[in-house]
Amino acid sequence: MISFINATCSFRKNAGVKNLNFSIDDGEFVFLTGPSGAGKSTLLRLIYMDLFPEKGKVLIRDYDSAKIKDRQIPFLRRKVGMIFQDFQLLKDRNVYQNVAISLYASHYKTREIKSRVYDILNQVGLGHRVHHKPLELSGGEQQRVAIARALVKEPIVLLADEPTGNLDPRVSIELINLLYKINKKGTAVIVATHNYSLIKRVPGARLIQMNDGEIASIT
Amino acid sequence: MTILWFLFKEGFKGLLRSKYSGAFSIIIIAISIIMIGFGYIIARDTLFMVENIRSQFDVDIFILSTAGSDEIIAFDKKLRQMNEIERVIYISPETAAKKFKQEFGEDILDILDYNPLPPSFTISLKPIYRNLMSVEAIANILQRDSVVDEVKYRKNFLIILEKYQRIILACVLIVFAVLTLISIILTSNSIKMTIFARRDIISTMKLIGATNRFVKTPFVIEGTLEGGLGALLASLIIYGIIYVQNTYLQSFFDYTLNVSYQYYIALLLLGSFLGWVGSRQAIRRFL
Ligand SMILES: Nc1ncnc2c1ncn2[C@@H]1O[C@H](COP(=O)(O)OP(=O)(O)OP(=O)(O)O)[C@@H](O)[C@H]1O
Ligand SMILES: [Mg+2]
Repeated sequence: MISFINATCSFRKNAGVKNLNFSIDDGEFVFLTGPSGAGKSTLLRLIYMDLFPEKGKVLIRDYDSAKIKDRQIPFLRRKVGMIFQDFQLLKDRNVYQNVAISLYASHYKTREIKSRVYDILNQVGLGHRVHHKPLELSGGEQQRVAIARALVKEPIVLLADEPTGNLDPRVSIELINLLYKINKKGTAVIVATHNYSLIKRVPGARLIQMNDGEIASIT
Repeated sequence: MTILWFLFKEGFKGLLRSKYSGAFSIIIIAISIIMIGFGYIIARDTLFMVENIRSQFDVDIFILSTAGSDEIIAFDKKLRQMNEIERVIYISPETAAKKFKQEFGEDILDILDYNPLPPSFTISLKPIYRNLMSVEAIANILQRDSVVDEVKYRKNFLIILEKYQRIILACVLIVFAVLTLISIILTSNSIKMTIFARRDIISTMKLIGATNRFVKTPFVIEGTLEGGLGALLASLIIYGIIYVQNTYLQSFFDYTLNVSYQYYIALLLLGSFLGWVGSRQAIRRFL
């Protein structure tokens, strides 16, 4: 489903990622680890085509980074759910609107938007926080809004960049359990993290270790 | 439908959310519209005044003194049938003598014993023919008529008038183009500030799979609404100024400002247009 073929993307000499070669199949759970600056975020950005490789290419289903047109990128992104380290929630909108906007952008009908949003908010345990603004929520709750927004459009893959960055250990474990549950329903999940203790929480997860922009080991 | 309604609501809410920067855009647009609105009135009235020195375009036709009265009547009829002519006045030798006396205070019959003044016609042209070229052409046609002795019009004056008219028109057009351009730039910049404050929304929307059009439309709707509101504000101010001028100051300036309701509608459309163009321009660099 996702293939990196000799993909290199450098911002300047010795930065970014080089010669990435690997594939991820439907429904897999993948941890992406490595020291700070190893290129984890860059790899994720290549998947949702916020960046393009200058050598090699990245394939996501039928989308080819070498051939994709600007106007096709939104359609790719509707299939890829993203959870950003800083959440990127819209501060002036409540939880419901933050999640719904993702469906409006994908041209769903109002009635379907409503039922889907309530459904997903209940799944992530935010059914009672629907009308709160992001700044009225705890970090863990904001995190779950971000997850709900990524999931509500039923992506084929969920990308999470440092999702436990500023969560306490207990909430981090809850979060990983939630991602595991989502993965069990068939969505592929890729989690970039420094937090090695999380890895053993997901049985059967693959592990890609990066160093200096290259893949150091892959399982 | 869902999507259109959503985008419209977003645009409307955006206007309410933007508060100060939105209000600032509205004021900028209002100032632009006031400039353009008064620019238009001044230009229109100036041109109208020039156009209306109507007697300057009158043509005098002097008839041969040998012409008989039936020939004169036939010529009169011919003049009245001409399409270009608005008004025909016949001046008989007697009337001419009276006019002479009024103007110079002496009776021409006392000086010369006979009336040397020929019968003549003064014709006024319809407004669209009040230009040097048409006047010349008509004068040439009339000159060829057998009863006509001489056709006179203020050629030199018309040449000067036309020159100034052209300069005035060119100035008006240039000033207008510049005003409109300045307005668009000002509007676009103030809307840019509005958008800048919310650029995080734009990048987030793009990352979750919104098309450029989806991201752009609410901002364009918001800009268009701001334009309309700015024009409404401008219309109220212009209306107020016109009211004050016509009610209290008219005796000082001897000038009545006249505008129709279409004028205000045009201002509203213009304001919305400025907001539309300005916001489309402004959003471009954030996409
Ligand atoms: N926009 C950019 N411009 C220039 N260099 C960049 C940019 N983004 C990342 N880099 C460089 O690319 C390399 C990889 O960065 P990346 O953000 O992918 O690392 P990371 O593994 O996500 O690190 P962290 O764990 O700290 O988030 C780093 O050396 C970084 O300095
Ligand atoms: Mg990173």
